[in-house]
Amino acid sequence: MNVKEERANGVLVCILEGEVNINTSPELRKAFDEIIRNKESKVLVDFSSVSYIDSSGLATLIEMLQRLKRAGGRLCFSNMSQKVKNVFEITKLDKLFEIFESRQEALQSL
Amino acid sequence: MNISEKVPSRLEIIPEFISSLAEKIKPLGISSEQFFNIRLSLEEALVNAIKYGNKMDPQLFVDVVVESQGDKLIIIVKDKGQGFDFDNVLDPTKVENLEKTSGRGIFLIKNLMDEVEFSDGGSQIKMVKVFNKDE
Repeated sequence: MNVKEERANGVLVCILEGEVNINTSPELRKAFDEIIRNKESKVLVDFSSVSYIDSSGLATLIEMLQRLKRAGGRLCFSNMSQKVKNVFEITKLDKLFEIFESRQEALQSL
Repeated sequence: MNISEKVPSRLEIIPEFISSLAEKIKPLGISSEQFFNIRLSLEEALVNAIKYGNKMDPQLFVDVVVESQGDKLIIIVKDKGQGFDFDNVLDPTKVENLEKTSGRGIFLIKNLMDEVEFSDGGSQIKMVKVFNKDE
């Protein structure tokens, strides 16, 4: 899995590429550690190139949300495929996270 | 089709195991959406078996059987552990549990597969998916 970063309107956009699974979640956690260290307050995760997510990936994202909230920040997601979104919907995590259809909608909200 | 495999208790080999299994069941023509759900369920079952059943002991294996019967795919995953109280698994969708970082594996399996049955005290899980073929 790759994590690319861009900046748009003062928001850090993380573009995830590949699968978020039990083996790649530690890499994602490392990238999030760096984001917290850099005191980023508005983070958007772009899922357009994420093909798969499992419960360990969900756990890593929940941890990130908790850490950002504690630091007074916000975390939004965008561009999920229907398969990936379905995992959030089944687990009702679509109620916990702010999920937007497009990056533009998410950026407007942030 | 009947596949029987012994999977070592190493989490890092799960994606490779599932990729090789995907190749073997390809001729069944399972739709990509259903394959996503089958894969996720199998991965969650394997992680539970390796982490909680076999307690990551590299000497222990997880037995996996995959069978097709008509339009049904049957997957059995068995570890060498003592099992668990499968009737009392927390509901991760309750508001008070939403921010918990564990406890979603079994819930996902139950919601993504058509039939789920535990036996041997919980050390064996049987999962059934009725599948459609890709158009």
